[in-house]
Amino acid sequence: MSYIPGQPVTAVVQRVEIHKLRQGENLILGFSIGGGIDQDPSQNPFSEDKTDKVNGWDMTMVTHDQARKRLTKRSEEVVRLLVTRQSLQKAVQQSMLS
Amino acid sequence: MQDRLHILEDLNMLYIRQMALSLEDTELQRKLDHEIRMREGACKLLAACSQREQALEATKSLLVCNSRILSYMGELQRRKEAQVLGKTGRRPSDSGPPAERSPCHGRVCISDLRIPLMWKDTEYFKNKGDLHRWAVFLLLQLGEHIQDTEMILVDRTLTDISFQSNVLFTEAGPDFELRLELYGACVEEEGALTGAPKRLATKLSSSLGRSSGRRVRASLDSAGGSGSSPILLPTPAVSGPRYHLLAHTTLTLAAVQDGFRTHDLTLASHEENPAWLPLYGSVCCRLAAQPLCMTQPTASGTLRVQQAVEMQNWVRVHGVLKGTNLFCYRRPEDADTGEEPLLTIAINKETRVRAGELDQAPGRPFTLSISNQYGDDEVTHTLQTESREALQSWMEALWQLFFDMSQWKQCCDEIMKIETPAPRKPPQALAKQGSLYHEMAIEPLDDIAAVTDILTQREGARLETPPPWLAMFTDQPALPHPCSAASVAPAPAWTQPLPWGRPRTFSLDAVPPDHSPRARSVAPLPPQRSPRTRDLCSKGQPRTWLQSPV
Repeated sequence: MSYIPGQPVTAVVQRVEIHKLRQGENLILGFSIGGGIDQDPSQNPFSEDKTDKVNGWDMTMVTHDQARKRLTKRSEEVVRLLVTRQSLQKAVQQSMLS
Repeated sequence: MQDRLHILEDLNMLYIRQMALSLEDTELQRKLDHEIRMREGACKLLAACSQREQALEATKSLLVCNSRILSYMGELQRRKEAQVLGKTGRRPSDSGPPAERSPCHGRVCISDLRIPLMWKDTEYFKNKGDLHRWAVFLLLQLGEHIQDTEMILVDRTLTDISFQSNVLFTEAGPDFELRLELYGACVEEEGALTGAPKRLATKLSSSLGRSSGRRVRASLDSAGGSGSSPILLPTPAVSGPRYHLLAHTTLTLAAVQDGFRTHDLTLASHEENPAWLPLYGSVCCRLAAQPLCMTQPTASGTLRVQQAVEMQNWVRVHGVLKGTNLFCYRRPEDADTGEEPLLTIAINKETRVRAGELDQAPGRPFTLSISNQYGDDEVTHTLQTESREALQSWMEALWQLFFDMSQWKQCCDEIMKIETPAPRKPPQALAKQGSLYHEMAIEPLDDIAAVTDILTQREGARLETPPPWLAMFTDQPALPHPCSAASVAPAPAWTQPLPWGRPRTFSLDAVPPDHSPRARSVAPLPPQRSPRTRDLCSKGQPRTWLQSPV
């Protein structure tokens, strides 16, 4: 069964909290994000983390630009992400079996 | 005035009890007594509640009990009237063919209820400020049976109200009317109105002190079932939460389908009402019906069937008429053991049946011919019955089946699956609704074991099969065809596309989501563009993969 964007999905997620770093005038996170609902997923060189939520904002149906904006708000020093990754499911399954 | 009211209530109660006794309808009487006791209990609980959420549950129980009592009373009166007017009561006809054929009963099950909400865009995404919360539940009535769903807390972060309950009604006729009512109440104290209920409370407590009211008080305090009159009329809201009717609708046989459908809701409250919720105006659900003729055998007996047309070789079989088939088993035991029948003859709306007497088989002339049309061919099976009476009873069963099929219509095409609802857990002590954030604290960050511990506690070993969301990592997501024709082709289960295509995601902060790995059975969304991404249509398939530093 494939995943269709726009349809509800339940996933195993991990909470990640990141405090922004100060670089001169700006607060940065120190990594890059790629993708978005308006991007071509077949060109994704990575397949690891997918972000579901940023500081309570839903990220499952956003364009690249919207995602970037939500992560770079000047007023927020801490970013709380809900992230899902493939290895989570495998780890969960393995520990259930043992 | 209060005294008169109490006297009237006593008389009501007495009258109802007398009626039940005279009808010797012990079952209804028992149900009525049960509900009255439950009502007393709910009243006491409500009076003793300290927490708002407990009060909400108790008020809900009270409301359901009241509704049930009223409905049973109504039913009792109807039966009494029928008896007085000389018709036989609701007893099944004992002998002789019925003057009028009546259709068989069936089971009706409504599940996967979902009511979409329509928050203003800014409210949903800002998610700031005090979270205003509501408690909602559904009341469902079919005939004299009333059932309720669990109570759900709703706030701005929810896009839909989803009920997990499966509600089953076991005695529905094809002309059933399933009434659905959505009730809501504010979780927080209703601001400006808090003054009023308290004033009412003091009035009542002082009036209860009077001698006439003392008896009422005594009946409340005494152990249930002592025979003294409980209060029958709804208790006025004494500084407790009040539920308001938010919306309702009635579903009938036409709405039954083995799949999800959307139905319109009639909205019953307006913005000034404190419990008003921005409802989108529809309800989505799966309404399935299983007529008894489809699930229970309606006739069985010995038959003789011809193996091949010209041969005179008649094989003795055990025939069982069930649903849309006549199964011919080699031996009567095969029907129970699950053995394959020797022959299966389809019986549906197009089938033609004739009774006859043939001379071809001397000694056993009573035959039954069943003809079905398969494309251009007509296939006729001829069956011999043991005697004229046997033939008559087979014919009668077949006529009844044809009648049932004409009444239950689409429910007789194929058996619709109905899951027996698991007994609902009593409402747990409602802890403050935490979000997944709080529940899944993982320190250090990479401690997967902590995740699995939490998950095991929550749901046991239910994650055997890979859940569908894993497909996000492996498959190419099936991108909806961008710029599909201006008329968005909806998935067949939907009766109307959404005028504003806000993406529907189940908020992770909502009521504990159902983590079961089975595909979440929700009406599939039509693959349409949301207004925000409307401009993408002009660009065609996305061709870029942007990366930005944050």
